Amino acid sequence: MIGPGIKRGTAELAVLSVLESGALHGYEMARRIEQQTKGALRFTLAALYPMLYRMEQRGWIRGAWETSNNGRRKRCYRLTAAGKKKLSPLRKEWAELFEALRRLTKVNHA
Amino acid sequence: MLDWKEIVRQKLAGLALQPEEKREVLEELAEHLEETYQSLLRQGISEQSATQRALSEVSDWNDLRRKIDSARKKENSMTDRVKQFWLPSVVTLVLSMGLLALIQIFGPKPWLFGWNGSSRWPFVAPALMVYVPWLLSLPLIGAMGAYLSNRAGGSQRAVFSSIVFPVLPYLALFLVAVPVALIVDDHVAHNVMFSALFVGLFAWVIFPAAALLAGGLPAQFFLSRRLDSRRVAGG
Repeated sequence: MIGPGIKRGTAELAVLSVLESGALHGYEMARRIEQQTKGALRFTLAALYPMLYRMEQRGWIRGAWETSNNGRRKRCYRLTAAGKKKLSPLRKEWAELFEALRRLTKVNHA
Repeated sequence: MLDWKEIVRQKLAGLALQPEEKREVLEELAEHLEETYQSLLRQGISEQSATQRALSEVSDWNDLRRKIDSARKKENSMTDRVKQFWLPSVVTLVLSMGLLALIQIFGPKPWLFGWNGSSRWPFVAPALMVYVPWLLSLPLIGAMGAYLSNRAGGSQRAVFSSIVFPVLPYLALFLVAVPVALIVDDHVAHNVMFSALFVGLFAWVIFPAAALLAGGLPAQFFLSRRLDSRRVAGG
């Protein structure tokens, strides 16, 4: 299980990544992240929405109300151009971190 | 049937947002809880357990209220702008101008480079006046601007602007004030020398900007790499 410190760091990357494939509302986003990470990352309501609002304020995502087939109103989030721009360096940073950790653990095991 | 909107409204009663914004937040969170609840019911969980598990999505409603207030406040972007651009810019400007004033009063005399007029330059060209100690101190001031802006999470544009901010008033003077003065003020227009403008541009804009960037850009490069690694490691 991944610890809370690392999880915090992955949160923005997870949201930006999952929105890359299309617009999602908060509940869908949380479920999609949980499924795709096989439960390693799980966003509760309390963790997800303050982060979504913060990312929206930064201009990385944009929320808009949409009405679903069953007539329910849901706020769907989309990646903005700024969000797409942010995603690429974030991915690179994380890839570098994981590569560094991989090298480190390999040395320790040797 | 549970009224999730009412439950959320009661739990987040003190939300300090505009009425419309507050209504949207409450509706969105209620919708999330409703979907969680319905999903649990579909899994065969009892209504009571499903309600409890849906509500367990939030362990501390007061903490959530504070976080939402903080995240949704429009002032945050203003605060960020102040921290990332205005504060570093004002610091570099004040340091730069203060140091220049001190050097002019207490420091060595400036270097003067003058030349006589010629047939191509019918006027007597002004001297280029350079305060060398000031120019030498500007890389440090530029580095400080880069550090302050970087530390506050400033974008590359904000960092760059913070570094060169001390020369912007001079640039504005040359780009705006002097042409305006040429047009509207006969006295200035009759006495102005274009070569003086050119020399002044170098002495007060180009050279100082280069000195500021000589310290600011390397600092930005190293600091942004360091802060990025910290951000990745610490979240």
